[in-house]
Amino acid sequence: MNRTTRTIVKLIIIAAATVLCMAAAYYAGSNATGHALASASDNMNYSRWLEKYFALTRATGLANGFCALSWFLAARFLLEVDDTLGAGKRLIWAGFCAASLAISLGVPHFYAPLLGIKLNGIIFALFAIIFTGAGYWLLTIFASPLAFKYTPPGAQLFGRSI
Amino acid sequence: MSYYFISIGGTGAKVMESLTHLCIAGLLPDNERLYIAAIDPDVGNGNLERTATALNNFAVFQNFAVGNDTPLFKNKISIVRPFPWNPTGHDKTLDDLIEFHHHSGTPVGKLYEVLYTRDERATTLNEGFRGHPSIGAAVLAKKFDDGAKLTAQIEKIIGEGDSVKIFLAGSVFGGTGAAGLPTVARLLRENLADYADRISIGGVLILPYFSFTPTEHFDELFARSENFLPNTKAALKYYSERENLFDATYFVGDSVLTPVGEFSVGSANQRNEAHIVELYAALAAADFFARPLHAPKIFKYICRHEADKFSWSDFPAQSERFVQFARFIFAYAHLIKPVLNDLVAGNAKAYKYPWFVDFLSGVDVTAPDVVNFNFYAEAFAAWLKQLETLSGREVALINPAMFDANPARLVDKKLFAALDGNKSKLTVHEVWYRLTEPFKFDSTVAGFGKFLRRLYDVCAA
Repeated sequence: MNRTTRTIVKLIIIAAATVLCMAAAYYAGSNATGHALASASDNMNYSRWLEKYFALTRATGLANGFCALSWFLAARFLLEVDDTLGAGKRLIWAGFCAASLAISLGVPHFYAPLLGIKLNGIIFALFAIIFTGAGYWLLTIFASPLAFKYTPPGAQLFGRSI
Repeated sequence: MSYYFISIGGTGAKVMESLTHLCIAGLLPDNERLYIAAIDPDVGNGNLERTATALNNFAVFQNFAVGNDTPLFKNKISIVRPFPWNPTGHDKTLDDLIEFHHHSGTPVGKLYEVLYTRDERATTLNEGFRGHPSIGAAVLAKKFDDGAKLTAQIEKIIGEGDSVKIFLAGSVFGGTGAAGLPTVARLLRENLADYADRISIGGVLILPYFSFTPTEHFDELFARSENFLPNTKAALKYYSERENLFDATYFVGDSVLTPVGEFSVGSANQRNEAHIVELYAALAAADFFARPLHAPKIFKYICRHEADKFSWSDFPAQSERFVQFARFIFAYAHLIKPVLNDLVAGNAKAYKYPWFVDFLSGVDVTAPDVVNFNFYAEAFAAWLKQLETLSGREVALINPAMFDANPARLVDKKLFAALDGNKSKLTVHEVWYRLTEPFKFDSTVAGFGKFLRRLYDVCAA
């Protein structure tokens, strides 16, 4: 696989993982605590809550996917290693990780009231685990550019063929 | 087929230094073993010491498992002992070596007294023949068969069914080389006369290319650069009358005599910087080894395109391979070696260096072969820097502004992509990136050799 193909494959993986995370957050959240939250919200039934919740997961998922994409694009095209001090860049990776966590918690915190739905701790925990845990940390383990392939913590535990 | 390279004297040792680098860089033909011998009465001379260090480094790391399908380290080296062979022994004069006391008063003794001055007879020869080939010729002719053991070793190789190409290098304008080249060539040819169809003897005759001004020792016997041209003229006349000495003869010299920094009679102080003439002489050896065993006799001349400049168009070998090797060494010195040191000292985290995780986890990077390779990388950079900063000539091969020697490091990382003067996409980052990409090697590639092989491969433009 040449470098361009590898880049395209990774972009597809990031896009697919983002969609999967949105789907996972939607189904996990709605099944775990959707009925209770729909009842607790004013003027809301379950199907309307699902509709609003889907909008919330989509917004959070896309914003989080942008973090993973930004790390990938920065590491692939902007960050250069032309001496040993330029290697690693874990601080930059951690910055994007913090942004991902802020998105996973901040978007539901600010956007849910606008949508008129209530959330609970389970949803915040699910978002943090699914979007930041899987949609950024785990994703970057497998989809970081090769020059920084072991920058995400834990990446050395996994073999990387692309 | 086996290759023998015999350096004679200080200039020969410097050619040997260049040849060692060419050999390690994979510029010798085929995969034949190169046997290296040195003849020098000045065993402590600085030039020989530097070469011996590089050779000994390579002897330790040449068995890295880099695979069989790469030019890197493909020609193994064996050092012929004693190294160097000292034909004079310690604190001996010409009178001692010739055993003059046995001949004193006889007609032969009287003839000897006429041929050699009192100074020539009485000066100890620890620092060589001091620019007097007449001393060297007498000593070598008397001592070669007993001391060098070269003939026996070559005979052994031929006895095993092999053919041997022997190449001699030395100056024709000094003492040891001027004496040794014709004498050793003649003795080898005579001693190996029974195997004439299995051997070929070539030689590079180094013509004057440096000068010096002695600052002290005015009363001592030593080489004088004002004698270089008359010595050369006499030597060339001698060779023109003895065409059967060499199967291939190469003449390399320079019309500009580069002044050497500091004059020294010999010994450790005789540590002259590497010169492009020595590189050409080493390339002559590579050319000779590439010729068929019994190719028609040739006398080869090399010329350059511009009077005061050497460039790649003047380089009579595979320049791409040389440039790739230089990139490999500088990439190693710049990107790899500092990291290995930091990791060993516990000052770095392995995750930053994917190539370390992929190739070197579990490899002992403090092993002697790795340490010797580190030393060698320094030696190569120092040699190259000396070549490139030759006074009186512009040498436009590897850009000397790009790197520092001692310690070897890149000072201008941007120039790495244009290391040979031609712009390429091979930046330092590109080398880093390529090192992290997946690849496959066969089972003959392993350990630190696997990493070096990968680094070498990714340094191809």
